[in-house]
This record gives sequence, C-alpha cells and structure tokens, in this order.
Amino acid sequence: MSDVTLAAPPTPSALPEQPVSAHDANSLISMRDIWKTYEMGSEQVHALHGVSFDIPKGEYIAIIGPSGSGKSTLMNLIGCLDTPSKGEYWLNAKNVSLMDDDELARIRNQEVGFVFQTFNLLARATALHNVELPLIYGGIGSSQRHEMAKEALRAVDLSDRITHRPNELSGGQRQRVAIARALVNHPSILLADEPTGALDTHTSMEIMDLFERLHGEGNTIIVVTHEHDIAERAHRVISIRDGLIEKDEKIR
Amino acid sequence: MSLLTESPAGVRPTPGRTDSKIAARIRKVFKLLRVAALWEAFLVALGSLRANKLRTSLTLMGIVVGVAAVIAVVTIIKGLDQTVANTFSSQGSTVFTVSKRPRVITSREDFVKFNKRKDVTLDDAEAIFRVCTSCWRAGVAANTPDTVKHKDQKSENVNVRGITPSAMFDIDAVNIDAGRFWTDNEGATAREICVVGTDIVQNLFGSIAPDRVVGQSVSVGGRPYQILGVLQAQGKIFGASRDNLVYIPYSTYQKNFGAHSSLVVFVKTPTAQQLEEAEDQVRTIMRNRRGKTFGDDSDEGFTLETSDVFIDLYGKATSNIYIVTYLVAGVSLFVGGIVVMNIMLVSVTERTKEIGIRKAIGARRKDILTQFLIEAITVAAVGGAIGVLTGFGLAYAISFLIGFPLLVSVASVVLGVGMSSVVGVISGLWPAWRAARLHPIEALRSE
Repeated sequence: MSDVTLAAPPTPSALPEQPVSAHDANSLISMRDIWKTYEMGSEQVHALHGVSFDIPKGEYIAIIGPSGSGKSTLMNLIGCLDTPSKGEYWLNAKNVSLMDDDELARIRNQEVGFVFQTFNLLARATALHNVELPLIYGGIGSSQRHEMAKEALRAVDLSDRITHRPNELSGGQRQRVAIARALVNHPSILLADEPTGALDTHTSMEIMDLFERLHGEGNTIIVVTHEHDIAERAHRVISIRDGLIEKDEKIR
Repeated sequence: MSLLTESPAGVRPTPGRTDSKIAARIRKVFKLLRVAALWEAFLVALGSLRANKLRTSLTLMGIVVGVAAVIAVVTIIKGLDQTVANTFSSQGSTVFTVSKRPRVITSREDFVKFNKRKDVTLDDAEAIFRVCTSCWRAGVAANTPDTVKHKDQKSENVNVRGITPSAMFDIDAVNIDAGRFWTDNEGATAREICVVGTDIVQNLFGSIAPDRVVGQSVSVGGRPYQILGVLQAQGKIFGASRDNLVYIPYSTYQKNFGAHSSLVVFVKTPTAQQLEEAEDQVRTIMRNRRGKTFGDDSDEGFTLETSDVFIDLYGKATSNIYIVTYLVAGVSLFVGGIVVMNIMLVSVTERTKEIGIRKAIGARRKDILTQFLIEAITVAAVGGAIGVLTGFGLAYAISFLIGFPLLVSVASVVLGVGMSSVVGVISGLWPAWRAARLHPIEALRSE
C-alpha cells in the first residue's frame, strides 16, 4: 500500500478549497466532492454538485436517476471520458482527475470496459475484430490478441459467431459482443450505460443474467439506468437527483 | 508514452513461452512503436477507401491529374531539351561558324551593333580556307526563303540554302536518300541544279518514290532547277519541319539570289579537341581582315559560334517558360491536395461516431491522427502511382505526335510518388488533427 500513498500527494494548486477526507485506499473507486460545471453561454450549469462515494472491488452497483439528474455526467466521469471541474476521483489508486487526454485514454483502455445502450460496435468489423480493438490500442501482439478475444467471446457464448459482422447478429448478440469487448482487457470496472435500453424484455433478462454471472466471477460492475427493475438486479443502488446523491443503499 | 513505459500494467507476459531477452526486447520495441495500432490504422484506411468507391475514385482522380501533369511536363521538357541539344549539335561538337551576327540576338542595341558590321564574304571564307591549318573541312552557306513549284503544285517558305563546296553536305550532316550530291566541279558552274528535302517531294509530287523525283524539274524563285538528289528525312523540331529545304550550289545562289547577303562560314575539325585551336586561328585571320590589332577592345566585327553557344542561349531563353510550366503543373497538384483535404474532412465528419468508439476504448490522439493520415497518404500515394503512369502515357502520346524522344527517368517516378505522398500528408494533417481532437463524449453522441 506504500505506493498508493506515494502516488497520493496532490500539487498545492490542485488542493480543494475545503478539506475533504482522503480517498479510501481499499476502494476501487473513490469520488470526493465531485463537481461538474458546464458553461451554457454566460450561464454556469452544475450537472453535479459535490458528489462523494466509494465502490469497493467486486461490487455490483446500479446508478439510477431520471434524465437530467446528472447520472450520465457521473457515468462519463467514472468511465474517464471526462474530468471533473472540481474534486478528486481515484480509480484503482490513480488520481484520474489530474490526467490529460492521452493518459485518460490509457486508463479507459486498461481499467474501464464500456457497454453502451446502442452497442457502439464498428459496423464494418467482425465480432472478433471488434473485441480485439481495445487490445490493439493496448499494444498487444496479434497472436496473443486473437487468443484473448476468442476467450472473451467464449465467455459470452459467442464462439460460433466470431466472423460475423454486427449487422449479421441479433441485438442481444451484439450486446454480448460489446460485453466481450469490454471484458477482453480484464478491466477494473465494467461500466454499462442503459445496457438493455435497446433490447426486448426477454433479451434484457439474458443480458442481466450475464452481468450477474460476470459479477459472480469477480468483476466489478456498474450499471447506469433509469429502469428500476434493472437497478434492482444490483447489490447496491445509488440514486441521483439534481446533481446530488439522493439515496445510497445496499439492497442485497 | 511516459505512462506506457512507467506502468508495466499493460505488459502481459505470454503464457507458456520461454523468451530470450532479445525476443522480449523486440516485443518491447514493437509495443513502443504500436505496430498493432499502425497496422490497424492501415487496414481501417483501406477498408474505408474500399467502402466508398466513388468517393475514393474521385479523390484519386484529383491526385492523378496533378501528378500526371507534373510528370508529363517534366518528361516533355526533358525530351524537348534533348531534341534541341541533338538538333543543334547534329553538326557535332566539331563544327563552329563565322558570321556577321549571332544566331540569337537578345536586344535592339545588339541588333543595331551587329547590323553595322561588314558582311562576311566569300573572300573572308577563302582566306580562312587558305590560312587555317587546323580547319579540316570548311564551307559557306547562305539562306533565303522562297517558293518552289512543280507544275501547278507549289511549296512556300522553303529554305533555299546555297552552299559551297559540297563538303557542306557533310558539315550539315545530311544524307542522300535517292540520286546524288553535285560534285565540286558541277557546283562551280552556277548551273540550276538542286538537292531537295523530303517535304518538297511530298508537297510537289505527292507520295511517290524519291528515286522517281530525281531528274525532274522544279521552279525555285521562278527559275527551273534539275533535281539531282533527295535527302533523307530529318524530322521536326518544335513542330517545324527540317525537311522543307532545297540545297543549291552557292555560285547559282549568287547568280539568282544576289551576292549582297552575308554568308555564314562553317568550319569542321577532325576532333573536338582541335576545335579551340581552329577557332583561335580563324579568330586571328578574321581580326586581321577586319583591321583589328591585338588588344583592341571594340567590337570584333564578326561572330564565332559553336552549337553549344546556341544550346546555352536556348536554355536561358526557355528557362523562364519552363518555370511557368512547372508552376502550372504544380498548381494542378495543389488542387489535387485540396480535393484530398476536402474528402478527408467529409470522411472525418462521417465517422465521428467511430472515432468516439475508438477513443472510448482507449485510442489516443496519436492513434486517431495516424489512422486518418494513413488514409490520406494511401489515397495520395496510389493516386501518385497512377498519375505517374498516366503522365508517362500523356508524354508518350505528345512526343509521338511532335516527334521527339521520350525520356523516362527514375527520378521523375520518385518525384511523382514522393510529391503526392507529401501532398497526402499536408492535406490529411488538418482533417486528421481535427479528428484526433474530438471529445469522446461528443463524438459518441453523434450519429
């Protein structure tokens, strides 16, 4: 743990104005007084005002809230697609809030596995190639890459579809390819944004079952949703409203 | 890069393989160069180009036209230069001339100055023939344009060239195709005899065999001449024929076209090494005849030239034209570059979502930049290669029509492909940079 404390000291200029509690070294994710402010013309809009929470490794957590609550903003921050205007975000003992674009890209590549509502697969690439993509940007050699991607596709029961392109797959299969892509690099967190939003009820349940299984295998899963029955599959639910945490409860 | 080297988190050891240190090091270098990402970028570029065939071919055309223009211009100009050099040194580097004025006059003052000089006369020529020991062959020639007729056919603006002695045929490097040259005895008698170029045969007799023209009569400047021989064709230069001429003996020329015009004295030496010595002798003879003493700095009163001088002058006279031509060709390449840039901007806009996906899963700015740059360079390089071929084809067609040699050089191939690649980089850089700077969230949101 000594290396964690070594990495911790922030530069004086980056110190927050009011004292906040140091991040929890045992947490995979540690958010401290996170603000996100957007400039809308001359006006300042606070999408998040002072959000703090911790997520330990191996947790299955849902972030729920109506549209405009700030949950998408929070998801973008957790996924390192964006940086907070104020506050500290520690992911796997790294202070993400101070990173530049390329460092964030590196973190996204190594630590975060994204699953999107609209799958976001490359249309012209095969399932295998789509899954390989994070490994390509991670600089993994081709033979090792093929092995890892095949293994990830096997984990989502798509071994027989590796040469198919997205338009040759059903919605549920596409989402499973996306999940394989998210898992292939063995990231710290699996971050799903409305993962069942584009799927029918039956397929949705299949995908949620898959999440449950992946959680059982030790993955940390964060699902962002506005649907309560999806959120209830998680073990902990954080409710967001008006840029603040309204409720944070263990339900299982 | 610092992150990459500092954190070994991304380096996963290959299971079940015993690695030597060298293999590990090679893998590390590969990793640093991100060969996988580069290859991915290349495949993506190819895929994208293949997926948009119409767009790709239009872009290619933009580059092809530019490169083809440059290659064609370079090739044609080279061929032209070569032709000019060949033509004006067809007498070889062993011939120089003595004349009243240079073949090329570049200013009005010079023209006035040269016109004040005394004519070069047969007496001058005879003095040179007599005294110059280094001169191997020598002759005089005078030219005038006139009309040549045969029955109702006529040929205008024919170069009527009066020469003596018959060694001038050798100095002019013309060869007989049918019939014969006249002998020096015949030439001295001022008879109306002539040797004609192939154009005269074509224009006055139509397409009949040259030997059937020998012995026929043609009218030159209104007087009948007997054709003794027909010359071999010499071809064209700048589209002007070198076969539209009639040789007549100088004695005849003097009688029928007057003795007042200035002559050109031709001197040939056995080898190029003796040229300078012969020039010195002739210069001394001529200075004496013009009453110039050693150290007299005023105008010599005559001009001594070799064909090299003319080629130099040609080079000076045409270099500006060439620069303009190169510029015009360069502009078309520039336009090709704009086409590539335009298409790349469209490509980036169209694939914003894809860029977002790639960024979300870990593509860095450099990766996206490389991807679009490679796409631009690939189009440009392929276009460049096609352009080089098209350019040579064009140059070949033109050289075939005009009639001069085609000079294909490796340098122009390298130039064409190199330039188009540079154009690809320059015109691809801005769109690629825009793509690389896209924010992942906004890029993902676009459809």
